[in-house]
Amino acid sequence: MTTARRGKPTARAALTALTATALLAATGCAGADRPAGGTALLDASRLKLDATTPAAASPLKRANWLLEDEPDSLDLDTGGSSAGRVVLTNVCERLYQLQPDMTTKPFLARRATTSADGRKLTLTIRDGVTFHDGTKLTADDVLWSLKRHAADGMEQSDEFGNVASMRKTGPDEVTVRFTRPDAVFAKALAGDAGIVWNRRQVEKSGKEYGTPGRPDACSGPYELASWKSGDSLTLRAYDGYWGKKPLTREVVFRWAADSAFVNALRTGAADGAYAESPNTAAALLADKDLKQYYGPSTASLVLIPTDRGGLADPRIRRALSLALDRKGIAESGFGGLVQPWATPVGSGAWGYEKTAFAAAQKELSDYAPASPTDADIERAKRLVKAADPGTDPVVIGTDATQGRAVIANATRAALQSIGVRAEIRTVPTSQFEEFYSDPAARSDIDVLVGDWYISKADPMGFYKNGKSDSPNNWAGFKDAAYDRKVTEALGTLDDTERSALAIDVQRAFVKSAVWIGIAQVPTILVLDRGLTGPTASQAYLYYPWAAGLGARKDPS
Amino acid sequence: MNPAALLRRVTGLVATLFAASFVIFAAVYAAPGDPAVFLAGGRDKLTPERLAEVRAQYHLDEPLIEQYGRWLWDTAHLDLGRSFKYSDQVADLIASRLPTTLELVAYATLLYVVLGVGAGILAAVKRSTWVDSAVVGGTTLFASVPSFVAAIALVSFFGVKLDWFPVTGAGEGLAGTVHHLTLPALSLALGALAIISRVTRQAMADAAASDHVEAARASGVPERDIVRRHVLRNALGPIVTMCGLVMAGMLAGTVVVETAFGISGIGSLLVNAINTHDFPVAQAVLLLMVTGYVVVTTLVDLAHPLLDPRVKEVRTA
Repeated sequence: MTTARRGKPTARAALTALTATALLAATGCAGADRPAGGTALLDASRLKLDATTPAAASPLKRANWLLEDEPDSLDLDTGGSSAGRVVLTNVCERLYQLQPDMTTKPFLARRATTSADGRKLTLTIRDGVTFHDGTKLTADDVLWSLKRHAADGMEQSDEFGNVASMRKTGPDEVTVRFTRPDAVFAKALAGDAGIVWNRRQVEKSGKEYGTPGRPDACSGPYELASWKSGDSLTLRAYDGYWGKKPLTREVVFRWAADSAFVNALRTGAADGAYAESPNTAAALLADKDLKQYYGPSTASLVLIPTDRGGLADPRIRRALSLALDRKGIAESGFGGLVQPWATPVGSGAWGYEKTAFAAAQKELSDYAPASPTDADIERAKRLVKAADPGTDPVVIGTDATQGRAVIANATRAALQSIGVRAEIRTVPTSQFEEFYSDPAARSDIDVLVGDWYISKADPMGFYKNGKSDSPNNWAGFKDAAYDRKVTEALGTLDDTERSALAIDVQRAFVKSAVWIGIAQVPTILVLDRGLTGPTASQAYLYYPWAAGLGARKDPS
Repeated sequence: MNPAALLRRVTGLVATLFAASFVIFAAVYAAPGDPAVFLAGGRDKLTPERLAEVRAQYHLDEPLIEQYGRWLWDTAHLDLGRSFKYSDQVADLIASRLPTTLELVAYATLLYVVLGVGAGILAAVKRSTWVDSAVVGGTTLFASVPSFVAAIALVSFFGVKLDWFPVTGAGEGLAGTVHHLTLPALSLALGALAIISRVTRQAMADAAASDHVEAARASGVPERDIVRRHVLRNALGPIVTMCGLVMAGMLAGTVVVETAFGISGIGSLLVNAINTHDFPVAQAVLLLMVTGYVVVTTLVDLAHPLLDPRVKEVRTA
């Protein structure tokens, strides 16, 4: 039976390792991530983020789009890979809509009013919207969809924690009542908790809903024309759409991983893609036929300390943050396509009060320099001396992927430069996620080379991870004032007040280095030079980006 | 073949598959990593309660033997279950990808049979000349290159640099499929050339040394007819056997090439299933590969006596 064992997962690992070699051969430069000379292709500290691309000038018959993986299911209540979302956001619509600039506005709900005490949200449903089977979208569909999202075991059920009741209160009205004011509920309705399904279609498909060969159940600018399992997925502009008609008639999605992904874009087999990994995009930087856009996202690279060893002491954590060469990591590990960053939340999370958040971010760079100066190292050494880290080495948990390996080595170098011994523990990629889920797996590491993103554009969606009872607070950070402020902010509906609280909470989080921010990871859009129009920010997961896609100028 | 022998074969086949299914199930079960982590959906949802809920929902908290029993029961009712990752039926996932992999293997088989047997015959006929050395040396060189290296080299040269061939996908229609699958099939076939040409060369040499070939030569039959009618015919048995074995091995060996060329066949389905702990899919694909291997080798075994009368005599004696 030896042949049955040939399908080892290591095949892919080996392939990934060799991707670099392939790119080297294909691009004729010395390595995919670091061209000869040892400097990155881009200066990480000068990376400019922009939420949109120039508007398209003329229509397009068909665009070939590339995904990193086949969608697992088009039912976002039960499945929910980002590949599925990238497709479906052009097909399905939500009660609110996340805009490219990461703000939200009522959408299928043409009006949304919150009562003075913040415990009642009244949604007035837009008139004249039809689903792709031609039937009218009604308040009944809205209520049924909300109840489906909230049902036990569904992906978005946790968003409905503060909901007391949901009822139809008029022919075009649905009212949601809360046990306490919930500041992020409206933002959740701009995400997958706000999708309005066509009840008849979902029920007709039953268990098979969302699998290949079933029609969609939505009202967006595109309808699902076909999904050939394992081959391709095609969207076609929906003629009965209530809003602005898309420029591109047909979008065909295919998928490929690693080197095949890069090659498909290089050869023009695909017109565009959102690259999930900066290294993939770095490999394509040299290609003159492609343009890359970097947009704000909530994603970040982080170090997550545990309470096991020396890093249980906040002074050691702060010292590590001071000594870490973030710019070096960004350039040698990620081709300069990530930006040194002091917090664990990318700027795409600033869905309100952007100016205030940006100013606060600047202030925090003292705790997390892009490149540590001698003074930073001195300060860090003093902190270590005062804390006495003991003699056990700090164990850094990682897997062998390129970016993480670079971060792990940089972390070890930073610790050793301030007099703390450190060693790296590498686990197989298939086991890596267990660090997040299993306290037992974390029990033999002191710090994890991690990454994180949040789906709602509100930093408070992240900072609840620092509460003393949060399963994601591994370092044992306990601060009653912090906990109180988080709870208060999550119930504060006024944006200005909430941002002030969020900035306070953020400062406390960074000061204690509960997690250590390394870099923010932008959304990366790789696009054929002849095309333009899609959103470049993380909104591409929730906003119909393909509706804006078109040709750059008139081909005539 | 008499009924008793047929029954013996079928029983052996079923027993093999049964044993294989258990070994595979146990191996997938024992693989490091926790499928519940992938099923829970999102890192912010990885609370112990949610994970316990997921494990109960997918019966992951039951002992191995109970899970295996459940799988066996369903499989006996022709239900391969649903994929953890794709909520689709496993049978649907495989049915939509199997043709691609079979096309790829068929194309690769065609390539290595034509090129490998051809090179072997050439080497045998031109024995001990520079042609012979070139064939042996060249094919050995190809065999020493792992298929993923060959894949990457072929892609970057013929796909990316020269733009002669597409670099991803399996294409549509006959022309499209051939165009798309040429490079992947070539990467698969290159490694098999050495063994096929070597076996062909040796089998031809053995056949050429037999008495009746000597006799034919002595009676003045032209060399070309001798090679075609006597030598090649007698050498066919081992050649076909080897081609069959290589093809059977390929059924389970397309993983790397499919990944390199972005082809959604059952090979890449398996890799993804293993990486995401998609038990039902990994189990079904592995079992399918084992079945394919066993069936092809059995067919080769059955065909052997038909090709080589000498084997038949020994068996029936």
